Amino acid sequence: MNPIALIARKEAGELLLSTRGLAWLLALAVIMSVLSLLLVSNTELSLLDNAQVVYMVMGTVTALGGLLAVVLGSDTIAGERERGSLLPLLLAPVTPSQIVFGKMGGQVVGWSVMYLLSLPYVWAVGSSGQNLVQSVVYLALLGTPVVLGFGFLGIALSARLRNVRSALLTSLIMLMLMTSPLLLGPSLRQSTIGKWFDALNPFSAAVNTFDSVVIDSQPLGMQTTRLVVALIWLAAMAALAVRSVRKMEI
Amino acid sequence: MKKATLALLLGCFMLGLNLAGAADTLSVSLVPVASNPPSPQMGDWLKFRSVIKNSAGQPTHGVVAWISLVQVDPGKEQPVDLEDWSAHKAVTKAVLRPGQELSVDWPMRLIQSGSYRVVISAVDRETAHVMTSPFVDFRVRRKPVVESARILPVALGVPAVILGLIALRRYRRRDRA
Repeated sequence: MNPIALIARKEAGELLLSTRGLAWLLALAVIMSVLSLLLVSNTELSLLDNAQVVYMVMGTVTALGGLLAVVLGSDTIAGERERGSLLPLLLAPVTPSQIVFGKMGGQVVGWSVMYLLSLPYVWAVGSSGQNLVQSVVYLALLGTPVVLGFGFLGIALSARLRNVRSALLTSLIMLMLMTSPLLLGPSLRQSTIGKWFDALNPFSAAVNTFDSVVIDSQPLGMQTTRLVVALIWLAAMAALAVRSVRKMEI
Repeated sequence: MKKATLALLLGCFMLGLNLAGAADTLSVSLVPVASNPPSPQMGDWLKFRSVIKNSAGQPTHGVVAWISLVQVDPGKEQPVDLEDWSAHKAVTKAVLRPGQELSVDWPMRLIQSGSYRVVISAVDRETAHVMTSPFVDFRVRRKPVVESARILPVALGVPAVILGLIALRRYRRRDRA
């Protein structure tokens, strides 16, 4: 089997087949369940509020996906180092690039599982509202580059910082900073700094697209810039991860 | 006495002329289109058609017509922000010649349940007051959009499935041991 596929399979197996990985997925599912159950109490929601709810769920799924990605990413290289399995991995007939691409494959599987896990929730809160299909499509379209970007950032930090705790803490700080638009309302982001932050932040690009598509029913043509921001983020983080793994010291 | 009566009649005539000057230059009609659902509910689309006609003998300039929506449920009387209901909130016409008509469709998506009253208002540059259409009343039925019957199985089922997978994995591991 291709070494990249082999490493990706091992990474995916740790998430899907280990008790620890399944416990993470359980925790994420419980968070989404609690969020959904909180919404049940309000049965007088208008259609607009329903769209708002779907938007909230999409933002939460992306944030949770990012959280899962940085946790998985931070463990990739530094975790191997701490478990003493990095040296055997480097001595195996695989290049550093193949290792990092394999680890990235694990991230792709992790996000795919998270995305599939979120679909019943998106359906449950949004099937009688507006733009359900768009919600599902745009969650994949924008959520994927944003979440994988966080995962690749985790891999890069994991290779550079040499221990899981430092890599995880730094990744989480970055994640919290970038997901702050979920907490700050649009009015708080109207200052010059806020606008710049919104324009450059890939997470803002994702949530603003969700807002635009689900609540305001705007077309794909209006999301191009945001999609480009998310793709640049993904490409930049992928390049950083590859470079960090290639240049890491044993 | 005759002179006084004549002066009074002349005064009334002049007053009538003044009132005629303040009369509506635009007549605005408003009707729901026939294809509207008879008992609309949240999420449905309604369309209203209005005809704005220059009923004066001279052209009117700078005509602006806009739609307004008011909720009239007892205790909930309030103007409705059309931001989310309609993207088509106003029309303009630079000149409307005498007798010329401007036909406008006003589509709107029903966002919230309740009783509503819709009206079209119009102004032009020459007339100092707003001219309005007759009201059209409609009622929007409630549609539960976040249903516990749909959320509960998902909210409880997904974690239960993952818990089941964890339990199955532990059982298999114990079985192997």
